[in-house]
Amino acid sequence: MLVDFELIKRAQAGDGAAFNEIVLAYRKRILGTITRLIARTEDVEDVAQDVFLRMYFSLDQLRTAEVFETWLYRLTVNAAYDYLRKQRRRQEFRMSDLSEQQVLLADAVAGGKVERDQQYQKRIRESVDSLLGAVSEADRILLMLKEVEGLSLKELEKIYEVNENALKVRLFRARQRVLKASEEMKRGREPAKAG
Amino acid sequence: MYSMPGNQDERLDALFRVYREACPAPEPSANFMPELWRRIEARQAFGFSFRRIANAFVTAALAFSLALGIYMAIPQSNSSYYAQSYIEALAAENTLDTPEIVEPVRLEIAPDSAR
Repeated sequence: MLVDFELIKRAQAGDGAAFNEIVLAYRKRILGTITRLIARTEDVEDVAQDVFLRMYFSLDQLRTAEVFETWLYRLTVNAAYDYLRKQRRRQEFRMSDLSEQQVLLADAVAGGKVERDQQYQKRIRESVDSLLGAVSEADRILLMLKEVEGLSLKELEKIYEVNENALKVRLFRARQRVLKASEEMKRGREPAKAG
Repeated sequence: MYSMPGNQDERLDALFRVYREACPAPEPSANFMPELWRRIEARQAFGFSFRRIANAFVTAALAFSLALGIYMAIPQSNSSYYAQSYIEALAAENTLDTPEIVEPVRLEIAPDSAR
């Protein structure tokens, strides 16, 4: 926990300063999670603010301060879902972004402005974003939370409110789809969207 | 595409690990907190005005109900019209001095026709 229970209780009681402290403590983490969940850097801050907005208006629904982090993750996942739902043309956006990024990258390489590790990181981001484009938004978020954010199955159980076995099955299937997409990409084919 | 060493699952795990490092959390802008509070206040203002409209509507509905109740409770000037029952009203309309209704029917048989 990045904050103590007392601070959460004060924020629940309507203390604006306590709420501010909580936001300041968690905003970097939430920004990082959202960056990986939505893969649209320009909208990350807007979605993060939406998470804290939801937190402000539903803090009184939090039964115990002990489950605060799990609850905040749930708000984050819900905000990311809502954002992705609004982006109906997400796939098209991503493809256009990719080509735009590639053009920028090529320009930068030609001009010698981008360092090698930045290019490497960009290549990884593009690879993972392309692979995760092969699975549904729900599976993408689940995989991100488990594999990238490093949440345990117990934590995911609380966030999704489903049992561990169901989560394992979903994760297994999502991984299989990603691996299949990876194979298809290696063969030079556009992976089919599934799940 | 980024090439992954090892077997498929290990490669995927490795890719996810490096992905986390490749996607560091962005620094929040200086405008993050002011913008957040602006959004909170905007929603509160919306909620407040909505509540005010709802309250005004409820008050108006209550006032109207009360006024209607009072209006219905006040005795009307032509209330005597409803002061008697239907039978009483009929009796009043057809008093005993209207023989064609109240008087028994008399059959007068002529003595000649009897034979």
